[in-house]
Amino acid sequence: MEEKIISLDNLSFFVNDLIKDNHIVIGQDSKEINWKRITGAKDIVVNSKNIPSNISYKEFVFAKTEPIIYYKNKKDEFDIVEPALPRQKLVFLGAKPCDARSIEIMSKVFNWDYKDKFFNERAEGSIVIGVACNYQDKFCFCTSVGLSPVTEKGSDLFLVPLDEKNFALQIVTERGKEFIQPYQKYLSDGNQAKSKEILSKIKNPEKRFETSKVSEWLTNNFEHKIFDNVGDICVGCGQCAFACPVCHCFDIVDEECDYSSGRRMKNWDACQFGLFTLHGSGHNPRETQGKRYRQRIAHKFKYYQDKFDEVLCTGCGRCSRGCPVGIDIAEVVAEINSLA
Amino acid sequence: MNELRAKAKELLTNGTVKVVIGYIESTTPDRTKPFIARTAEDAEKLVFNKYCVNNLALYLTRKEFRRTGVVGIVAKGCDVKAIVQLIQENQVNKDDVYIIGMNCNGVVSELGQDFSAETIATKCLNCSVRTPLLYHTLLGTLEDLPKREDKNFVLMQKLDAMSAGERWDFWEDEFERCVKCYACRQACPLCYCERCIADKTVPRWIESSAHTRGNFSWNIIRAFHLAGRCIGCNECERACPAEIPLSLLNRKMGMVAKKEFDFVAGMGLDTPTLVGTYNLNDNEDFIK
Amino acid sequence: MSGSNIYKPEMMEITDIVQETSDTKTFRLKFKNESTAKSFSFKAGQFGEYGVFGEGESTFCIASSPTRSEYIECSFKQIGKVTTALTRLRVGDSVGFRGPYGNYFPVEEMKGKNVVFIAGGIGLAPVRCVIWNTLDLRNDFKDVTIIYGARSFNDLVYKRELKEWKERKDIKTVVTVDPGGEVPDWDGEIGFVPAIVEKVAPKAENTVAIVCGPPIMIKFTIPVLQKLGFAEENIITTLENRMKCGLGKCGRCNVGNVYVCKDGPVFTYAQMKELPQEY
Repeated sequence: MEEKIISLDNLSFFVNDLIKDNHIVIGQDSKEINWKRITGAKDIVVNSKNIPSNISYKEFVFAKTEPIIYYKNKKDEFDIVEPALPRQKLVFLGAKPCDARSIEIMSKVFNWDYKDKFFNERAEGSIVIGVACNYQDKFCFCTSVGLSPVTEKGSDLFLVPLDEKNFALQIVTERGKEFIQPYQKYLSDGNQAKSKEILSKIKNPEKRFETSKVSEWLTNNFEHKIFDNVGDICVGCGQCAFACPVCHCFDIVDEECDYSSGRRMKNWDACQFGLFTLHGSGHNPRETQGKRYRQRIAHKFKYYQDKFDEVLCTGCGRCSRGCPVGIDIAEVVAEINSLA
Repeated sequence: MNELRAKAKELLTNGTVKVVIGYIESTTPDRTKPFIARTAEDAEKLVFNKYCVNNLALYLTRKEFRRTGVVGIVAKGCDVKAIVQLIQENQVNKDDVYIIGMNCNGVVSELGQDFSAETIATKCLNCSVRTPLLYHTLLGTLEDLPKREDKNFVLMQKLDAMSAGERWDFWEDEFERCVKCYACRQACPLCYCERCIADKTVPRWIESSAHTRGNFSWNIIRAFHLAGRCIGCNECERACPAEIPLSLLNRKMGMVAKKEFDFVAGMGLDTPTLVGTYNLNDNEDFIK
Repeated sequence: MSGSNIYKPEMMEITDIVQETSDTKTFRLKFKNESTAKSFSFKAGQFGEYGVFGEGESTFCIASSPTRSEYIECSFKQIGKVTTALTRLRVGDSVGFRGPYGNYFPVEEMKGKNVVFIAGGIGLAPVRCVIWNTLDLRNDFKDVTIIYGARSFNDLVYKRELKEWKERKDIKTVVTVDPGGEVPDWDGEIGFVPAIVEKVAPKAENTVAIVCGPPIMIKFTIPVLQKLGFAEENIITTLENRMKCGLGKCGRCNVGNVYVCKDGPVFTYAQMKELPQEY
C-alpha cells in the first residue's frame, strides 16, 4: 500500500481545497455529539483519541428525514414531482474504523434487489478518510466483529497519527488514489516502518465473542429468557438504532406542505418501537419489548449475515454508551457466546 | 448497601412485595442500571450509590407491574416526587407500591464520570427532598453535598433576556439535532400515555419527520404536556443522544407553575394537581 | 447503478367500486398512463402499495387475475389512516400505485393437478386472484374446490362471485359462516373453516392447497390438511406483515432473514416452518 505524509497544516489546506472544489466535507463535531459539514479548516477534528460521537455519520448517506416525492394537486389531478437529488461529492474526514465500513455494510440492503437512489446518489461518490483509533473504553468491541482500531477496511485513505504535527496517509483504494491525485502538493514521502510501529503499539479491545458461534446459537434458541431479561428494563426508545452506524430501518409518511401540495417522507424508524410492526388488525408479531430486543440482536448477528454475508454491527459501542437504562449490547452478545 | 440488600431480601421473602425495582452495577463501576429483583438471590445484586441516576418510577406504570401486586421500588427523593405525581394522576395505586426511600447525597449528571463538584447533577444543587417526602422504609445517611454554580440557571436567565427571535434561533440550533428517537419520552416517568400524541395518525398532530418543523412541534408540545407535571428528574435530557438541553424548557415551565400558581409537582399527596384540578378562584377568565 | 426513484408511484384511476361489507370495499383501477398500462404485468399472489396523497400508502394484494390485464383490483378493510382515506374516494378519483411486488403462487406448477382453495374473511382477496387465474385457464387444472368462510354472512366478501362459483358445475364451492353468523335463509354451511375442510376437502393425492385467512384459521387448518395427507410443500399460503416500502429495504416485514415483501409473501408450509414463529 502506498503511503505518504501529510502535516496538520497541510491537512487544513487540503480540506480548504476540497471545499473549494465542491466537495462536501463531513467531520465529527467538536462536542462529540454528531457529524457536521465542515465549512473551513477551523472545524477540523481529526483526532485518533476522541470518543466516537453519540450519533454516527450515516445521516449524510441515509438521511434522518427526506422527501421521496412531492405532489401537487391541480384541480382533481395530482402531479408528482421528484425531488432534485444532485450527486454529492461527500468526504468523510476522520472516520474511525468502526465508522468507515458503515456505508459498505448498508449498501447491501439498499442494493440487493431494487436500488435505492437516495442512498446511492450520496454513497457512490463518497470518499472515506479513515483514522487509526487510539480511543478505547469498556464499550468498544470492534475486534469482536472482524474489525480493529488500526484496520483500513472501509477507508479509501487512511490516516495514522505519527506525532503532534504529522499523519501518515495510506492510499487504500483506487478511488482514494484518484481522489488524492490533484492534491499531491500537500503530501510528502512516507516511511512505512514508522507508521507500522505506531499501529503495532495500539492496543486491541478485548475480543468478547465469536460471531459465527453467536449466529448459530441464535438459530437454535429463538425462545430464550435472555431477551426477556433485557426486555424487562428496555424502555423501547430508538437511541440505539438512531446512534448506530448501520441500522437502516425507515418509515414512509406523507405530510402537507400547504393546502394543495405535500410530500412523501422517508424517515428513520426503529425496531424497538412498539408500533413498528403493529398490524391494522391489532395483531403485533413482536408484541413485547423482549421480542423486539431479540429482533435487534438477531438482525445484527444472524439475519443480516445469513442474507448479506455481513455482521450488522461495527462494534462502535454507541448504543451501549447512550442507552438510558444501561443495556450493553456486547455484554448481551458475550453472554450468548458463553451459552453457545 | 448491605441494609438495602437486607431490606429487599426481607420484603421479597416475607411476601410484602412481588418484585423490587432497583439498581445494579453496570458495565463499569461508575455506572448502574435498572434491575427487577424477583428473588432473594437477585436482591444480593442491588446497589445504591452516586451513579444511581435513573428514575425508576418509570417502570411503575408498566402493564405487567400494574397486575403484579405490591411493587417495591428503590427511590431517591426526586424519584419519589414522580411516584407522588403518578399516584395523584391515578396511574399508580398508593397501596400497590412499597417505597424504599434513600437518603440521597447527590448523583452524577451523566454516567461514565466520577462524582465531583463538577459532575454533580444540576437537579441536586438545590434539592429540597434529599430525604424523600414519602417512604415505607428510609435508608442511608445524609452527608454534605459538593457545591458548584448552577450554570443551567444562568443559561436560563440568558435565554429569558433574549428577544423572541434570538430565542427561536437558539432552539432551532438545538432542535436541529433531534433525531426523533423519543428517548426523552421513553425515559420519562410521567410520559406514560399508552398512545402518545406523537404516534397518533388520525389526525397526525405532530409530524414524525425529524426536520425543523417536526422537531419544534414535538419538543414544544412535550414540554407543554409536562408543564405543572414535570418533577425535574431530568432523565429526558440525560437520555437524549443529541444532547438537547431539555431541562431548560421543563425547568422554565416548572418555574412558571411556581410563580403563577404557587405549585410544585410531586410535593405532596394532599396537594391537588395543577392541571387536573378545577379551582373556583382560578385567576384565568377563560376557564370560568 | 443508482437507478430511478423506486418510491415513485404510478397514477391509477378508480373505474369501479364495490361495497363488499360494511367496512370493506373493492376498487377496480386502471393506469392513467397508456404505456404503463400496456407494459404492466403481474402474477397471482403479488401485491402493491396503494397511496392517497397526503395520507400515505397501504399494502394490499392484487385481488384480480393476471389473465385480465386491462385492470387491477384490490380489496381493503377500513381500519387506519390510509384505508379511511381510500374509503372516501369515488369513481374517477386517483390512487397512487407501486408494484407489483413480491413473489407469486406457482400457478404453472399447479397445472395438471387438483387445487383446493381455502380462505377466511378478507383472506379471500389474494386467493380470489388465483381462483380466477385458475378458472380462466380451467382446462389446465383437474378438480377445483373452493372453501370459504367468514365470521358471519355480513362478513363474506365477493358475494356475487361466490354465487357465480356455486352455480358453476365444473368446480365445487362450499361457503360457511361461524355458528351464529348465519341469516334466516342461509343455504351454506355453518361451522369453522377447519372443520369444513375436514369434511369436504379433496384427496391429498396430486392436490395443491392454497390457504389464506386470519392466523387462527391457518393455525387450525394446517393440521387438518396434514391429517388428510397433504405434503408440507403442497400447502401454500401468503403471509401478511406490516409493510412500508414493499422493496426489501425498510425492515418492518422481516421474519428472520426473510423479507416478506421480497422473498414472500407466498410461502409453502414447508418454508414457513423454517421461519421463526414471529408473524
